[in-house]
Amino acid sequence: MRFLSALVQAIDWLNERIGRAVAWLCVLMVINVFLVVVLRYAFSVGWVWMQELYVWTHATIFLLGAGYTLLHDGHVRIDLIYREASIKYKSIINILGSLFLGLPLLYVIFVRSLPLITRAWENLEKSAEAGGLPGLFLFKSVIAVFGILFGLQILALLLRNIESLMGIDDTPKYHDAEDEEKVI
Amino acid sequence: MTPELLSLLMFAVTIALLILGFPVALTLGGSALLFAIVGDALDLFNMGMLNIYPLRIFGVMKNEPLVAVPLFIFMGVMLEKSNLAGELLEAMGQMFGRLRGGLGISVLLVGAMLAASTGIVGATVVTMGLMSLPVMLRSGYDPKLASGLICSSGTLGQIIPPSIVLVLLGDILQGANEQAAEMKGILVPEPVTAIDLFAGALIPGFLLVGLYLTWQIIQAIFNAESCPALSMVEGQAPPRLNLLLRAIFPPLVLIVIVLGSILAGIATPTESAAVGAVGASFLAWQKGSFNIEVLRSVSRETTKISSMVFIILIGASMFSLVFRGFGGDVVVEEFLRELPGGQFAAMLLVMVIMFFLGFFLDFIEIIFVVVPIVGPVLISLGYDPLWLGVMIGVNLQTSFLTPPFGFALFYLRGVAPPEVRTSEIYRGVLPFIGIQLIGLALFWAFPEIVTWLPGLIFK
Repeated sequence: MRFLSALVQAIDWLNERIGRAVAWLCVLMVINVFLVVVLRYAFSVGWVWMQELYVWTHATIFLLGAGYTLLHDGHVRIDLIYREASIKYKSIINILGSLFLGLPLLYVIFVRSLPLITRAWENLEKSAEAGGLPGLFLFKSVIAVFGILFGLQILALLLRNIESLMGIDDTPKYHDAEDEEKVI
Repeated sequence: MTPELLSLLMFAVTIALLILGFPVALTLGGSALLFAIVGDALDLFNMGMLNIYPLRIFGVMKNEPLVAVPLFIFMGVMLEKSNLAGELLEAMGQMFGRLRGGLGISVLLVGAMLAASTGIVGATVVTMGLMSLPVMLRSGYDPKLASGLICSSGTLGQIIPPSIVLVLLGDILQGANEQAAEMKGILVPEPVTAIDLFAGALIPGFLLVGLYLTWQIIQAIFNAESCPALSMVEGQAPPRLNLLLRAIFPPLVLIVIVLGSILAGIATPTESAAVGAVGASFLAWQKGSFNIEVLRSVSRETTKISSMVFIILIGASMFSLVFRGFGGDVVVEEFLRELPGGQFAAMLLVMVIMFFLGFFLDFIEIIFVVVPIVGPVLISLGYDPLWLGVMIGVNLQTSFLTPPFGFALFYLRGVAPPEVRTSEIYRGVLPFIGIQLIGLALFWAFPEIVTWLPGLIFK
């Protein structure tokens, strides 16, 4: 049991770090698009790679931020029943949901994306656009990384709720956004 | 068991699973996957179809117009976290508050404007509820009227451009439009973009705001005690006009620039959303509330909301992949085509179903799950995609207001003080539901209200 708690904490730690890092990409993305606008309208210049860069940044943010979002319970639930329900109900829903819905889905995403990614790596695929970015194979790989990171966080959700259902509560409850601001 | 039957079963079971409360994105995708496995075991589905799934995900990843979504979120969260939105309401309240019904009018206008920039139903109603409900109650407003104003203006903001709901809807309608063209044998359909949809939603949005305002003014005239003027405390100097303008003007200019540049055809929604995000940061900096902490918390919030939205899109694309694999889209198409009442009956039925689904599902889920199924059929039956988009928007907004399940009511209940009774909230929204229905009927009878402006701008 202690091993499982440590695992849950390690996953939380990993996705917390990655989420915080990815969040800064939002600022870069805003600047990137703004720069494209200024260059186009003030100086009438534009590069394909610059446009691709912000599209890729955007996709990286929502894919790699998915585990972080789950850690903070940010993936919206229909809370008609869930909000008022008992802790036991919530645990059962989270356990069954993780086991039969979440984990299989992320497994399929991971496994089925591998051929796509391997092919991209084989010829170090570049963007198909003229003047586009070189690392398309890296960008495609983000799907698999998303599969792993998000899958791990669903596993953490599963384990945490099993512990809660069994009445073991030796995992420190994840502190919310307000305290964590001070941690850094 | 036929694959078609399985597809309908999958739809019903997925809705039921969603209501249990596991995250929407995972439920949509996971439930579809379970049905794919069952279908495969019964020889009704070919698991090889799932090989397309990573390509669908990749399609979402490189979809440029969708970048407008996180940028608009960034702008909205920045306006909120730097308290620009709160000060806007306060200033408006001081300006109009000394008129009977004036506070209500400011709440309506700010709600429509504020939501224009965040575009998330729960967030808007909660923010508006926290900011304006206590003030309205303290100054003697009837809780019924106050609740109705907050819920209706908060949900209306969803479909007043610029809104992320319209960006997402534009993307899905474009796909639906291409499929409809295929059904009719047209090779190159006229594209539907978020810009067209913004233009189409503008007049209907303003019309509804106008109707809400009319209702508030009628209340002020005939039911004066429901919305008294703010009583000024003895000795308190009346607020200085230039100070008020300083609070009201900048956010207003920002919205006008963002929306204006899109509608004037100068910028794409993505581009003007970036200008909006930078502009909101600039306004925050100007009033001294822009620093690294604010930037950090805005970025994190943006990451979470944008991930939430797009992971639902990824889950929903698994759903539609499997649904199509079973031939569910063909069942729906044939059913809608063969309805006795023709295209009118098909449209009416879809609107009624969406209205009821709106009790359980939010805008984003309905846009991603239901619109791809019914959109192509309705468009190929001859309905204009833009008009369809606006009708869906107003219809869902009405659904979110309707007791006892409407989303907006739940959110407001969550932040309203206990002395406001739930029954008062329910009764308070009734006149606004009436206004919505009038609006829907008007847009249905006169589609030009929707299609006139896009035609004028882009043709």
